[in-house]
Amino acid sequence: MNEKLIFSTTPHMHTARTVRGSMLHVLLALLPAVFCSLYFFGVPALMVLCVSVASCVAVEWFVTKYMLRRQATIGDCSAVLTGVLLALNLPSNLPLWMVAAGAIMAIGIAKMAFGGLGCNIFNPALVGRVFLLISFPVAMTSWPLPDAAFGSADGMTGATILSMVKLGNMEPASIPSSDMIWGSMGGSMGEVSAAALLLGFVYLLVVRIIKWHIPVAIVAGLALVDILAGYPVVFDIFSGGLLLGAIFMATDYATSPMTGRGMLLYGLFIGIITASIRRWGAYPEGMSFAILIMNGFTPLINRYMHPRRFSPKQRKEVMA
Amino acid sequence: MRNTFKIGGIHPSANKTASRRLELLPLPKKAYLPLSQHIGAPATPIVAKGDKVVRGQLIAENSSFVSAGLHAPISGTVSGIENVVLPWGKPSKAIVITASDDEHSADTEAREAYWRDMIPSVCDRTLSERLSGDDIRSAILRAGIVGLGGATFPSHVKLAVKPEQKAEVLIINGCECEPYLMCDDALMCTYPGRIAEGVELMLKAAGIPKAVIAMEDNKPEAAAAIGEALKGNTSVSLRILKTKYPQGGEKQLVEAVTGRRIPSGKLPLSVGAVVNNVATAFAVWQAVATSQPLIERVVTVTGDIPETQRKNYVVALGTPLAELPFTLPAEALAIAGGPMMGRSAVRLDAPVMKGTSGLTILSRPSKRKVEACMRCGACVDACPMGLEPYLLSTYGRLRMWSEAAGADVLDCLECGACSYSCPASRPLLDYIRVAKQRAK
Amino acid sequence: MSPTYILLFTVAVMGCLGLIGALVLYLTAKKFKVEEDPRIDTVEGLLPGANCGACGCKGCRDFASECVKRGKLDGLNCPGAGADGMSRIAAVLGVASVETMRTVAVLKCNGSCAARPAVYDYDGARSCAVMDAVGCGTGGCSYGCLGCGDCVSVCRFGALHIDESTGLPVVDSDACTGCGVCVGECPRHLIELRPAGRRDRRVWVACSSRDKGAVARKICSAACIGCGKCAKTCPFGAIDIADNLSYINPDTCKACGKCVDVCPTGAILSTFKVEPKQPAQV
Repeated sequence: MNEKLIFSTTPHMHTARTVRGSMLHVLLALLPAVFCSLYFFGVPALMVLCVSVASCVAVEWFVTKYMLRRQATIGDCSAVLTGVLLALNLPSNLPLWMVAAGAIMAIGIAKMAFGGLGCNIFNPALVGRVFLLISFPVAMTSWPLPDAAFGSADGMTGATILSMVKLGNMEPASIPSSDMIWGSMGGSMGEVSAAALLLGFVYLLVVRIIKWHIPVAIVAGLALVDILAGYPVVFDIFSGGLLLGAIFMATDYATSPMTGRGMLLYGLFIGIITASIRRWGAYPEGMSFAILIMNGFTPLINRYMHPRRFSPKQRKEVMA
Repeated sequence: MRNTFKIGGIHPSANKTASRRLELLPLPKKAYLPLSQHIGAPATPIVAKGDKVVRGQLIAENSSFVSAGLHAPISGTVSGIENVVLPWGKPSKAIVITASDDEHSADTEAREAYWRDMIPSVCDRTLSERLSGDDIRSAILRAGIVGLGGATFPSHVKLAVKPEQKAEVLIINGCECEPYLMCDDALMCTYPGRIAEGVELMLKAAGIPKAVIAMEDNKPEAAAAIGEALKGNTSVSLRILKTKYPQGGEKQLVEAVTGRRIPSGKLPLSVGAVVNNVATAFAVWQAVATSQPLIERVVTVTGDIPETQRKNYVVALGTPLAELPFTLPAEALAIAGGPMMGRSAVRLDAPVMKGTSGLTILSRPSKRKVEACMRCGACVDACPMGLEPYLLSTYGRLRMWSEAAGADVLDCLECGACSYSCPASRPLLDYIRVAKQRAK
Repeated sequence: MSPTYILLFTVAVMGCLGLIGALVLYLTAKKFKVEEDPRIDTVEGLLPGANCGACGCKGCRDFASECVKRGKLDGLNCPGAGADGMSRIAAVLGVASVETMRTVAVLKCNGSCAARPAVYDYDGARSCAVMDAVGCGTGGCSYGCLGCGDCVSVCRFGALHIDESTGLPVVDSDACTGCGVCVGECPRHLIELRPAGRRDRRVWVACSSRDKGAVARKICSAACIGCGKCAKTCPFGAIDIADNLSYINPDTCKACGKCVDVCPTGAILSTFKVEPKQPAQV
């Protein structure tokens, strides 16, 4: 026996899927939305995107190297993903230093301070966005209009359709649905084109990165409130950040529940809270807040919503 | 619509590339027979150092009801009852038999004649009609037969079904859901009639009305062979299941076949089922019809070795693993069994035992790179018992045994689906296994 | 509404709320006050507070109340507090202190990287319990130390660390309180609590291999081969050989160190012979 055999624990076979692979799949799914935003918003969008991704990666590298002093984790591409998601949640004309500040908040505070990938309670990109929204409300809510796009961003800005509807300046029914699907409406970079987001959703489902539960439950929750409130459901679904949030933000692994049943509950409440904020709250858009609120409940959901056991016991309460 | 079990499960690449032709591996000159090759009490040796034994002679008898006897796989002299190492490096008391050249050649001749004369495909039902259940059970007990799927539970105990336990169906497990392994596949392709006969004998022994031979849909050749052998048979039927790991797990298999779920901590009998492996059925036939006790089994040699070496052998128990013909690649991982549940074999001088279904050689150039858990839930989706492996593993790592018990760690099958599916390559099962041991 | 008014109103409301809260807390504390012997707190203050469980109680507080409840220290001993601490507790309770021999942990394995080089690569979770559950260690010994440091991680007194050069845990006998948590943690039962001995002189067999001499020696050059030289040499008859393994009875051992000198493999260690005899090359 001259060979040095390997002594390994079972199982000796492993899936080909990796953490980095999962992140790359999500990035791939985001590509259509990224292209759309670049198409509609032009060079400024590209700048926001680059600054966001670069600062997210830089912050993570800095924190792991100089503050946590552990092996760098930027190779898993999760910081890149956070950067892209953060950028897609911002208006394309946001000053670049604000983008960087959002990235520091997102990665530095929301992710690394909790211990890095998988340990964060709140979705980093959304924490970054909400931080910017609360700190710089004016800059965060004046959106460049997409038709003023491609290279010739001449500074025309306006409110999103949701806020116009909220302020009573516009009737939901007056907006052509094709605009909402293909993206000719104001909003942050990633939320303009529903079609691009749905394409990404289908891709994620096909490669089994996410399950259908959360997005479907969010739409169901939203529809439920809309129907009760007598509000046009389809308009509500396709407007604002709902699809971006439902497909890419709420499904973030670390901050969403582990089990199918938990996911349904989580999604349902996100939908309900979003619709409630949109209808009766001060903000025209409620997706970010709804997701962050339910992020906070995720540990609780995980604690009580167990997967369906193979053979459930008649539980004599064992827990102390 | 083909059935399978409902919760969890994974689809590892099957890699079933070994030849289905059974070959006889030459008998060893020296055989090592650990006294504890089965679940239950170790066997008690009834021979002493220096005794002459002949092939098939009982050398250790079962010490209690849940135990199994051992027979000499070769003729020769007992050269001692001493500690030998098992493949994974733990010591165990074993009987060591050494054969002289004469004995070796005589044995070889007898063995070749035995396998040459075996009729492969016709199912002769007269035997099971002639014998009584008690006769068959005692023959099984005398032959030292245990479950050959890997669990090695003594078969006479499994088949001792009392009438009031209302066993309705005998499920013969031909799933072989472990990737790489093909020993059951090869056996089913080669001796379908003998297996069918073995099943009939088992039915009679246990007093169960009908049997189902279950296999996954990735074995069309075996399915055709068994189907042919079962033609016109009213008590034994064939059921093809949708391929999914771990279908061969007792609980999963019973659910896939009958739709019933075995309650936690109970035996299949609680839902009226008895599960046995196809190789066990064949061994039962050998014991009853040919009076050959369990001294040989089929072993798959496969993995990252040249294609011509991936074969199925009939191997005498006690043969050192190193006598199986294969070339080790550099940085090799040898596994006694399949890659999902088989234990890492580091001592190739250790013997083939009753539960050794294969020797899988994998080349593993780099170690797993363990990353942080990103809470993706892949392990939860994969767990066939509906447990939360990420949680149990954390409890195990942090020594929270009572919390682990509260989260049903004792239901864990140790199938490894969680560790397999983890994108961060976390060794989930390692800690769960420890938690399971401590939570008892 | 003037800003001054708003400010005053706010202060008044918050002040009232605070007062009401304080009152509720005060009344609750009064009503649910539990009378407790103040000596429990004093005794607890003398304990290490590690909640190691070596005393058999459910933690330091429980031990302290047990001491006070019984009013005597028979059968109660906190190894963490040591003889000093126990005599101070005795003084608090006004009773005589009970003499107990201090014990320390010793490792019954000397299979260092040099004596037992790694013959396998390990790929799995770094934990002794995990490694033991699936087979032998990387050194190929079925009895010896696995070197992943489960004992180190359970020690609440920082008395254990893994020596980088040998790959074995080292007991800091000053810090070790003899609580015995590591004894229960080691999956191979390699840690034994032995009396600290007079002037800290201890002798023990640093091997647990029950393999036959030749086999054990082949795996590890520092293994006890059960040759029995030590038993023959011992003037006090303190050494027994069973299962190819020597054991020094701590009660009869006088720590003379003769066995350390005769052991052919250097499997017997002591605290007073600094350089253990180099094991002969195999």
